[in-house]
Amino acid sequence: MTKSGTFDPMTDEKKQLEIRGFLQLDAFLKKKYGTMPVFYEIDGPITGIELAKELGIKREDIEVIFVNGFVQEVNYTLNPGDRMAFLPPGCPGPYRIALGFYGKNQDNAANFKIQRKDSK
Amino acid sequence: MSFIRLSFKLKEVFFVNKFIRVNMETLEVTVGTVPEKYAGLGGRALTSNFVNDEVKPTCHPLGKNNKVIIAPGLLSGTTAPNSGRLSVGAKSPLTGTIKESNTGGSSSQMLAKMGIKALVIEGMPKEDKFYIIKVTMDGVTIEEAPSQILGGCGNYEAIKVLNEKYGNHVGMALTGPAGEYRLPSANISFKDPDGNIRSAGRGGLGAVLGSKKVKGIVIDSTGASSVPIADPEKFKAASKVFAKALLDHPVAGQGLAAYGTDVLVNILNEAGGLPANNFTAGRIDHNDNISGETMNATITERGGEGKVSHGCHKGCIIRCSQWYPDKQGKYITSGFEYETIWGLGADGGIKDLDIIAYIDRAMDDVGVDSIETAVAVATAMDGGLIPWGDGEAVLKIVQEMAKPTPLARIIASGTSVVGKVCGLFRVPVVKDQGIPAYDPRSVKGIGLTYATTTMGADHTAGYCISGNILKVGADIDPLKKEGQVEYARAMQIGTAAIDSSGMCLFVYFGIADNPGGYQALIDMINAQYGLELTADDLDTLGKAVLKVEKDFNTRAGFTNHHDRLPEFMEYEPLPPHNEVWNFTPEEIDEVWNF
Repeated sequence: MTKSGTFDPMTDEKKQLEIRGFLQLDAFLKKKYGTMPVFYEIDGPITGIELAKELGIKREDIEVIFVNGFVQEVNYTLNPGDRMAFLPPGCPGPYRIALGFYGKNQDNAANFKIQRKDSK
Repeated sequence: MSFIRLSFKLKEVFFVNKFIRVNMETLEVTVGTVPEKYAGLGGRALTSNFVNDEVKPTCHPLGKNNKVIIAPGLLSGTTAPNSGRLSVGAKSPLTGTIKESNTGGSSSQMLAKMGIKALVIEGMPKEDKFYIIKVTMDGVTIEEAPSQILGGCGNYEAIKVLNEKYGNHVGMALTGPAGEYRLPSANISFKDPDGNIRSAGRGGLGAVLGSKKVKGIVIDSTGASSVPIADPEKFKAASKVFAKALLDHPVAGQGLAAYGTDVLVNILNEAGGLPANNFTAGRIDHNDNISGETMNATITERGGEGKVSHGCHKGCIIRCSQWYPDKQGKYITSGFEYETIWGLGADGGIKDLDIIAYIDRAMDDVGVDSIETAVAVATAMDGGLIPWGDGEAVLKIVQEMAKPTPLARIIASGTSVVGKVCGLFRVPVVKDQGIPAYDPRSVKGIGLTYATTTMGADHTAGYCISGNILKVGADIDPLKKEGQVEYARAMQIGTAAIDSSGMCLFVYFGIADNPGGYQALIDMINAQYGLELTADDLDTLGKAVLKVEKDFNTRAGFTNHHDRLPEFMEYEPLPPHNEVWNFTPEEIDEVWNF
C-alpha cells in the first residue's frame, strides 16, 4: 500500500494517522491526496512539525494541531492510530482563547502576531 | 390612504445629539436633545440604560409599556473601519429579560450622519393598522403601510416595494411576517447596502415592533452632513492604525474573509464541541458537507453572482459575509453564518448546504432569528415533530411562518416552547433562549457566558477583549475549570464596551493580540469626542452596562437561579470527550463578582 490512501481498519489501524487540514490546508490536502481525511502510514511516533514537513505543509501555515480532539502545540508527538488536524492561523479570536490555543503557544511568539505574507 | 404628517422641520432643530420619540398611541413625534444622563453613551450602553430607566421591568413585552430604542454606536457614521453597527433595545418577548440586539446594514451610519443618537418607539396604536415611520432631514412622518407588503409578504418583496416608493438609496428596518404575528423569534430586518437583509436577530424584538404596529422604518439621509470630529487629524491617524491592525491579522484579514464564520464548523467539530443531534454529541461525520472550506470551494466553483467575501455595511474591511449562489450561479443568501449552518446542519442533521442556504433565505424573508429557529428545529426533531435531517420539511415550515400554520407558530415560538410542546427534558436554553453552536460541556468558558449573560444564552455576549484576558487565556484548557470564570467575566465586560462603540464585534479578532490596535480604537473615540479615555475607562463602561442590565433583570424577577445551564448537561456526557457541565452554582455566580 502507498503511504497515503484509503483506510483499511483490518490491516492499517495500528500504522496510520488520520489527518485533516483546515482553512487553506483543506484544499491543499484534498488536491494532493484526493480525499479528506488523509490516512497516512507512519512507522512510529512523529512530531507534528515533522509530519508537516513530510506532507509539504509550511510551518507558518500552522497555529496549533488537534490530536484526538485536544489542542496541542505543533511539536507534540503523534502516534500511529491518532486522529489529528493541522489548523492554520485564522480561527476567530474568542475561540483561540476558549479552545486553549494560547496555552499551547507560549513559546511561539509568531503565532500571536503573524504578519501578512505580503508584508514580510 | 390616510396620511399623517407631523409638521415640524427637523432642519431647524436637527444638528447633532437628537433624541426622537415616536408615540404610536397618539401618532405624535417629539424631537429633543439627548437627556443629560445619556450624554457620551451610544449603542448598547444607551439602549440598555434607556430600557432600564423607562421600561417597566415586569411589563408584558408585547404590551403598551414596552419600548423599542434604536441607537447607532459612538463611532457610527464616521470613516472608522467596521463602525456601522446598530443596537436595538427593548424587553425581550423570548426571554423576558432586557435585550440588546445588534445588526449591520445601512441604517446605523445614516442615523448617525443625521445627528440622531436614538429613535424611541413607544405606545400602541388604537387602530389595527400597520404604519411606516419615515425619518428624513425634513421631518418625521407616520404613514399607513402599503397593503401589498402586509399579511405575509416576505422581506425581500417588501424591500422592493418600499424601494420603489421611497427610492433605492433609503435605509430600512422591517417587521417581517413573523413580527407582524408577534412570534417570539421575530427579527427586525435591516436592508444592507446591496438591498439584501441583515438582522437584529436575537430575542424577538421584531415581535415588539410588530406589537406597536410598525411595519417599517424608512431612513432617508439625503442632506445629512458628516459626523463632526473634534480632532480630525488624530482621528485619521488612529483610524489608519486600527485598519492596519485588522488587515494584518490572519484572522480578520484572511481567515474570515475567505471562509466566513463557517470556518468554525471543522474547528469545533475537531475539538468535540460541535453540538449535534439536539446536543447529544459533540462531533459529526458530515462536517465536510457544511464547512466554511466547502462553502468557499462551492461559491468559487459556481461563480455567477456568488461572492466569497462581502461586507454587511459600508466601511467593513473584514468582509466575513458572502453571497452564496445556487447551481446556476444565482444569488440565494448572504451573511450565511456558522451558527445557522451548525444549527441546521449539525444539530438538525441536514447534510446539504444548498437546502440550508434556502432555509436561511426563507428565515430572512419571514424575519425570524436563524439561531433560535435552527435550535428549535433540532429540538422539534428530537421531539418527533420533524424527521431528522429533513431539510425540505424545515424549508416548508419556515415558509409557512408567513401565514402562519400552527406548526410554524410553534417553531417560531422558540426552543423552550418546542421543548414543552414535545414533552422533552433535553431543551438547550438559558432564560428561554436557544444555546448556540458551542457546547458548554466541551467549551466551558462559553458555557459560563451562556449561563450568566443578561441576554439569555448568547455567544456574542462574550466576544471581546478586556483587561488582561490574554494572560488569562494562557491558562485555559477548554475542558477544565481553571481560568474560565475570569475568561467569561472579562469577555462579557469587553463585549459590552465594544457593543457601545458601534464597532462590529469581529474587530476583536484583529486587535486581541495587538495592544496598538486596541489603543487605536480608544484613540478614535477620543478624537471624535475630544475625550481622553483609557482602556480602564472602557472597562468601566463595560461593567456599568452589565450592571444596568442586571438591575433590569433583577427587577423583572430574575435571580441567580436563572443563571444556570439546562440540567441535562449535568448528567448527559457529551461524546467524544464525554464531559458533563460541572460548575457549581457558587462558581457560576463568581462571574458577577466585579
